[in-house]
Amino acid sequence: MEQRQIIENGVSRETFAWRWVTDRGVRIAAGLATLPLYRMLNAAALPGVAELVPADGSLLVVLKAGATIPTRLRDLLSSHPYDIALADARSHHDINVIFDGMDLPLVAERLGWPRSSLVEGLCAISFVVKFLGFQPGFAYLQGLPVAWHLPRQATPRKAVPAGSVAIGGAYCGIYPAAGPGGWHLIGRTETQLFNPLFSPPARFQPGDTVRLIAT
Amino acid sequence: MIVVIKPGFLDMVMDWGRPGFRVQGVPEGGAADLPSLVHANRLVGNPDHAAGLEMTLRGPVLRFPDGAKVAFAGADMGVQGDGVPLAPACLHVLAPGATLHVGVARSGMRAYLAVAGGIDVPVILGSRSTFLPGGWGGWQGRALKTGDQLPVGAEAGQAWDRLPGRSSRSSSVLRVVAGPQMGGFSDVALTSFLQKSFVVQSDSNRVGIRLFGPVLEYAKGELASQAVLPGAVQVPPGGQPIILGWDGPVTGGYPVIAGVITADLPNLAQLKPGDAVRFQAVSLEHAQSAWQQESTWLA
Repeated sequence: MEQRQIIENGVSRETFAWRWVTDRGVRIAAGLATLPLYRMLNAAALPGVAELVPADGSLLVVLKAGATIPTRLRDLLSSHPYDIALADARSHHDINVIFDGMDLPLVAERLGWPRSSLVEGLCAISFVVKFLGFQPGFAYLQGLPVAWHLPRQATPRKAVPAGSVAIGGAYCGIYPAAGPGGWHLIGRTETQLFNPLFSPPARFQPGDTVRLIAT
Repeated sequence: MIVVIKPGFLDMVMDWGRPGFRVQGVPEGGAADLPSLVHANRLVGNPDHAAGLEMTLRGPVLRFPDGAKVAFAGADMGVQGDGVPLAPACLHVLAPGATLHVGVARSGMRAYLAVAGGIDVPVILGSRSTFLPGGWGGWQGRALKTGDQLPVGAEAGQAWDRLPGRSSRSSSVLRVVAGPQMGGFSDVALTSFLQKSFVVQSDSNRVGIRLFGPVLEYAKGELASQAVLPGAVQVPPGGQPIILGWDGPVTGGYPVIAGVITADLPNLAQLKPGDAVRFQAVSLEHAQSAWQQESTWLA
């Protein structure tokens, strides 16, 4: 119940900082309450709200044309009528990964672990999808031990192949499509992570859990 | 049907875009200068959300084997139909087999061509817009090439010879509201941002409009990724600002000093490399009333 206490405190109006992102959205610094708040507001389907976008400890409320902040949004934030149990009812994904990323030897060296133990460690983590961004279907997977948080590469690569599994900062991520990228490449998967013809188009949704399986 | 005889610099099928998929990592996209696309659509009797062609800097040569009602708006590209100059913001009826030559932008950056019936490409995630960074949407997920044959839908509505467009403003001054990390910039940086001018760089595109000007120093450290919107002015470590565009990522880790107001995004769409731009601070109330006006015209 300690967690519930923290989150309830987080949801009280006083502890949330609000900032406008252009004139179209309000960024709520919701911290640990970001995902539960996202779910709660999503279910509330407030008029005037076009989209809700969770990110790293903050939630963006995108407004519809001409709308101001709905009074009910303020009301919902100042009370806290959401259920954190909602956060548990999500899908789990096992993703087969070939751990042959070009940065894996360097990552192992920098972390001071033998490569095999590093891979074993990565496969033991139950990652949680915190949010999607950067490119369509790119999920920020939380769960790396703090000691494994490496700064991003100073110069991003111009072309990272689709399916690359990488770590950067506090997160693990899989590039759904080829493109530039500044994270450390540790492996690759053949699992398709984004298809615009699917509904929803992204395989991973906020709150889902993900485990990497070495193959 | 529209046949591409010769492509322009960057011709892409665009409509209103695909709101509602940011949580999947998918930006809204759509026509950069939306009021111009809507204006052209209304002239040919299309619904506002019909797909047209967004043409950047230099336009294509197109042939219309079946003829068509067309209109164009936005940047002035000196369009000719079978060698005859065609005025912008007017309805033109092309005879079967007519050829349209779209020239180079004399003012502005992006022009929009609407054809009665709309360009009938598949709807993906609620939109016919091209998403070039992902290679999907629009016509085969890419810019037009020689030999492409674009399907056109059935004509539906009443066409008009002329219709009033949105009143245009100078695009060299963009109005901004404070950004979420404005407080982390030094007074010197804020003063430079609002008083100096910036030049649009040639590597700008629909993902981001890169500017060159005084270095804007951010005093605080690394930032957690936050959700961002088109118009957000990000400042990467080098201190040269990038205005996020229509196809820009939905989250970003760079501090956002300010946000171009929604009503000025069409003006941003008309800035081309080499143009100078300044920022003018306005209140949130000012921004929202401007947006309200814009959406009344669009509605």
